[in-house]
Amino acid sequence: MTFLKQTIELTTTGLRSIAQRRGSSLVTVVGVTTAVAVLVSLLAIREGANIFTGQNARPDSFVVVSRGATSTAQSVLTRDTLAVIENAPGIKHSPDGRPYVVATALVSVDVFKKDGKRGNVYLVGFTPGSALVQSNVTIIEGRQYRPAVHEVTVSDPIRRMYKNMNIGDRLDLSGTEWTIVGVFAGNDSIGDSVLRADAATVMSAFNRNTYQSANVQLESPAALARFRDALISNPAVAVEVKSTAQSMQDTFGQLNSLLNFVAYFVGTVMASGAVFGALNSLYGSVDARRRELATLRAIGFNGGPIIVSVLLEGMVLALPGAFLGAAIAWALFNGNVVAVAGLIFKLTVTAHLLSVSILWAIVIGLIGGSLPALRAARVPVATALRAV
Amino acid sequence: MRCDVDLEGLNEMKYLPLVWAGIWRKRSRAILMLLQIASAFLLFGLLQGLNSGVKQAISRTHPDRLYVGSSVSLGVPLPISMLADIERVPGVKFVTPLVQLPSSYQQSTQALPVDAVDVQAFFAMFPDYIVPRAALEAMKTDRTGMIIGSTLAKRYHLKVGDRLTLQSEPRRDGSTAWVYDVLGIFDVPSQPSGASAAFASYDYVNEARVADRDMPLLYIALADSVAHAPAVASAIDKAFANSSHETRTQSEGDLVTSQIQRIADLDFIVGAIMSAVFFALLFATGALMMQSIRERVPELAVLKTVGYSDRLVMGLILTEAVVFCLLSAGLGLALASLILPQARSLIGISSVPLTVVAAGVGFAVALAILGGSPPAWRGLKLQVAQALAER
Repeated sequence: MTFLKQTIELTTTGLRSIAQRRGSSLVTVVGVTTAVAVLVSLLAIREGANIFTGQNARPDSFVVVSRGATSTAQSVLTRDTLAVIENAPGIKHSPDGRPYVVATALVSVDVFKKDGKRGNVYLVGFTPGSALVQSNVTIIEGRQYRPAVHEVTVSDPIRRMYKNMNIGDRLDLSGTEWTIVGVFAGNDSIGDSVLRADAATVMSAFNRNTYQSANVQLESPAALARFRDALISNPAVAVEVKSTAQSMQDTFGQLNSLLNFVAYFVGTVMASGAVFGALNSLYGSVDARRRELATLRAIGFNGGPIIVSVLLEGMVLALPGAFLGAAIAWALFNGNVVAVAGLIFKLTVTAHLLSVSILWAIVIGLIGGSLPALRAARVPVATALRAV
Repeated sequence: MRCDVDLEGLNEMKYLPLVWAGIWRKRSRAILMLLQIASAFLLFGLLQGLNSGVKQAISRTHPDRLYVGSSVSLGVPLPISMLADIERVPGVKFVTPLVQLPSSYQQSTQALPVDAVDVQAFFAMFPDYIVPRAALEAMKTDRTGMIIGSTLAKRYHLKVGDRLTLQSEPRRDGSTAWVYDVLGIFDVPSQPSGASAAFASYDYVNEARVADRDMPLLYIALADSVAHAPAVASAIDKAFANSSHETRTQSEGDLVTSQIQRIADLDFIVGAIMSAVFFALLFATGALMMQSIRERVPELAVLKTVGYSDRLVMGLILTEAVVFCLLSAGLGLALASLILPQARSLIGISSVPLTVVAAGVGFAVALAILGGSPPAWRGLKLQVAQALAER
């Protein structure tokens, strides 16, 4: 008999016996399902934070921050510095001569969640260049904010998450009333986590005379060297030019790795619990078929196919958990928004996460099957048959 | 010839060997089950330990220290002119402005955050920060002086007399290099995470800034007593009500709580994960115990035949479940208390708190009773004749 044929025979009998051990098989499925569901739910937060990695940014877009700033929020750009950036070589210009440069002024604002808990969002003032650089940000309801009159637009997740964030509502920020006039959508660097307004208006309302950072679009990705050299050799400014991805990594890298660590740590502990469950179930399966396996060995089946068949059985028990777990995480959390450290994440269960969960299930099945498989292959023929 | 044996009898201890033998009847299965339950309680101990570590940190705070921030949000700067107004509020003993200057030492990855304060007032308000008197005296005359935490000093091998150049936000002169002289090293014995702050003079830092000059991030005030603190806090807020800079004054504990809330809702996350873990566990214990009892039907029937009452058999099965779950929970919590101290510097907690251990024991018993009930019920209803006939 060939290796393959023996393996198929053994696996089918093994799978058929699953039905007889319904209880312990279900334990394995439930164990893997919950481990995967928790892992996927936690990873979904990080996946939602993916727009904060800047991977999808345009190759001709860059971020200018003050030298040494470890995040865009710590950066300080004066009006003079902004003027230097706007006139630097390599900057793309619109047909009517306006530079593709937008500077931001950030103000943290306390708001209340719908359940009454305190939260915070950022009120971000954008210079008029926003219309050029962030052309993907569009108004989906209401209208755009106007300068000088204390108007803001909100994102849909903010409107859903916090109180008094509908069009027409007013925010009282230290004596100044801001009116919500529209809802925006679109992936810019800070995404859905902000209230958008005009930079000059925000700066005058909060006595600011500096911006945080500037986003620029160059004539082409190749213009970077020219642009960067011009700024660095200028003694009047102390700035750094970073790719969007680098800037995001500096600003949100720690948060991203923390989210990853928590997800994989909790996932690993839960998965090890599931491995013990799978080990138990498969030891049970092997023990129940002790005589059968000994007989097969006696009539010439090899150890190899026996090992493979038990491992396959382990994976068959584990795989449904991968799909069920990912499905449960998707049904419960996909599209939910959570606020972490003032940023809003839309939990997204992606195909990538499904592949992660399948991988984990396979590993759980393999580890859970390995020891029982060895035992099965080593069943001492004589003693096992004597016990009949 | 059935003689009822009373479960509540004085010599119930004599059943323990029987229970113990029942647990280890199939050794490898019991060990795997033990590890499975233990891994769940390990997670419980770690997550809940972390959560209560945060709560302990909040309870260690000083309620007489008040943090005066903008009502818009903490982090929105306030004008320095408010310093004198806060000093005038009755019940305020000390006030200092605070400016935070995120800075780095030598490399951008080596953070050395600088807090610019009125150093004399600050250390008067923080008696738990131990600093040599000479260092405070020296700060009075040296504008660029700095008092640095012992943890930071150790990390970057800094000592008194060193001159540091830190990279931070732009200065008025256009550079981003800030120079400080280390005049003293302070320690915070009561803080498990150590002393990792550095204090410089507010006047020196403020004068050199471009952004937010004369606009500190917040003020820290000390009330003359813990009892007065809430009244002092509302008096401060009242003093600035309807001004262009309304304030929100929080106690130290409220401040820590709201900072943590800002990061994540720990209670919800820990609760959600633990319910998923215990759901899987309940299922696993229930199913495995059921299987174990099924295999032992003949033995249980024999017990009943020799005079064990229905209730006693049920009690034995339940006791077995409780002992087993407690054993597993104990192992998991012990592992957690071994691991948790490794995160000491991160969360400032050195052991799994007793309340968490107590909650874990409660969960273990609940798990045993819920998971052990179906098999125990089966033991209760077991018909001797039928069970032995099946053999």
